[in-house]
Amino acid sequence: MTAEVGTVRTVRRRPDAQRAVGLGLGALVAVLTLLAPLVLDRSQLTVYILTGTAAMVTIGVSLLMGYAGQVSLGQAAYYAVGGYTAGLLAVHGTPPLLGLLAAPLVAGGLAGLVGIPILRLRGHYLAFATLAFQLILLAIVGQVDFLGGDIGLQGIPQLSLLGIQLMTAQAYAWVTWVGVAVVLLITRNIIASRPGRGLRALATSETAAESSGVPVTRYKIVVFALSAAFAGLAGGIYAFFIGYLAPGSFPVLLSFQFIVMAVVGGLGTLWGPVVGAVVITLIVQTLNDLGTRPGMPSYASGVFSYAVYAILLVVVLLFLPRGLLPAMADLVRRAFGRGRRAPAAAGTAVTVDDSTTRQPPDSP
Amino acid sequence: MLDVEGVSRSFGGVYAVQNVSLSVAEGEVRAIIGPNGAGKSTLFNLVGGHLTADSGTITYSGRPIDGASAHRRAHDGIATVFQGARIFRGMTARENVMVGAQPWTRHGFVAAALRLPRHRSEERAIREQAEHALERVGLADWADREAESLPLGQQRRLQVARALCSQPRLLLLDEPASGLRAGERTALAELIEDLRAGGLTMLLIEHDVRFVARLADRVTVLDLGQVIAEGTPQEVTSDKRVIKAYIGDEDEHARGH
Repeated sequence: MTAEVGTVRTVRRRPDAQRAVGLGLGALVAVLTLLAPLVLDRSQLTVYILTGTAAMVTIGVSLLMGYAGQVSLGQAAYYAVGGYTAGLLAVHGTPPLLGLLAAPLVAGGLAGLVGIPILRLRGHYLAFATLAFQLILLAIVGQVDFLGGDIGLQGIPQLSLLGIQLMTAQAYAWVTWVGVAVVLLITRNIIASRPGRGLRALATSETAAESSGVPVTRYKIVVFALSAAFAGLAGGIYAFFIGYLAPGSFPVLLSFQFIVMAVVGGLGTLWGPVVGAVVITLIVQTLNDLGTRPGMPSYASGVFSYAVYAILLVVVLLFLPRGLLPAMADLVRRAFGRGRRAPAAAGTAVTVDDSTTRQPPDSP
Repeated sequence: MLDVEGVSRSFGGVYAVQNVSLSVAEGEVRAIIGPNGAGKSTLFNLVGGHLTADSGTITYSGRPIDGASAHRRAHDGIATVFQGARIFRGMTARENVMVGAQPWTRHGFVAAALRLPRHRSEERAIREQAEHALERVGLADWADREAESLPLGQQRRLQVARALCSQPRLLLLDEPASGLRAGERTALAELIEDLRAGGLTMLLIEHDVRFVARLADRVTVLDLGQVIAEGTPQEVTSDKRVIKAYIGDEDEHARGH
């Protein structure tokens, strides 16, 4: 018998092996994602593209809410800003590629400006402020003639890259999912970096983060702008693909949808939002098909889509509070005999953190 | 190194700190003690930059820092260990410590997103410094654990490691021993002694007189927001006013229970 028998030995992580598995999985997912458009039909491609744009926005939501702990109930506003920026520029003869590049810049820039006053708010107050911003924006867009008003902005030309016009939905699918990859890469790089750690720190305690030298106010504004830029890029692609924009395309329900996707997939995870976007889109699509079958009442599809958000959110929060992806990761780990649970999602965004409420009354 | 001159701060017309002056020399360990409600935490927040004084001036390294934000002060070399377990959730112990490197690093979102050379070289330096700080507080074996899963004593040491990772010139500690078990207190005291031997200037806010007796060079005693005594631990513990303030406090405790 050796002396080690009976002592608890912590299972050492093997970063290299994990990294290899991660890279392999990532490569597989990437290849499948890029091959998928070849086998999908036209209507499936539309769903595929809109899943991709939703994933882009949702990755931003996960970064903002999950990692940095800031709530936004108005992410669809920046989706709209990106769409209108790209659409408007293209309608007035700007090369579509420039329009597509301008979309995230304008959305991010606007969010940066809006963020200066509203990011002073926390928790529920911030949630309502972001929601209010979207409502105000939609109301204004509906009144402005050169944006098409309530009727909408029509005749947006097709996107062209390097002089080649993208006419097929396949091409849009590739552009969209390459965009998702870029957004994922940026997010991954930021999370594991000096500013990323600063964001994750301020999600727990702004006071402690500030004392550690994190410029809390500036970081909050930058992450808000960045998540809006992701939404703006998605909106730009949406505008070129659909070719028509109206205030009604960006309802408040869409903002909620992005949050449900992020929470269901796993808030504060990198891939969770993509999983969430895919799962929610598939479920909503299936129920929509069901609801529009002959014999169903006319309100069925509408009821189904609202109900599904509500039920999914409740079920996930009750049984998988950290979201689908962390739950699946746990399952895989357990299957391979590792007892270690995945780290809890950072932030647990919606709870008001004790340190900020206990702050001295006059601190900025 | 740190000069607090006639600083006052009131909440709702009641002075939490009134006309407090003290001066901490380079390399000195200064304890601030006092019964509950003496204004210790207010003073800590004034020096740390979480509160601004109504009147008076705080000078650090020869410059007034009254208008400087907390993160500005961190960049100037003032590091903080909070009373509660102010560790960052959802991050490993190592990542918590790495946050402490903010003051001496520069790269931002663009450099990080694009993995620019500046990001790479700074990350390497941050990692090294964090490793060093974790070893110094004896948490190297726990580096990849979730910070929130550590026991309170280790969370407190983790905060010290985070502060050390900032390469501070002045370390503020707010009741670092509160809530700790006897063994954890001893270990923390040893850590503070070790830092003192390394020449680090410290401002140690503490309720327990015995805890500071062997750690502090000088002790400032606060009661009801005012300085009532200052001197070596021996001088202060034999001071009549100090004894009275503490016994009075304990009387109130006794009545309260």
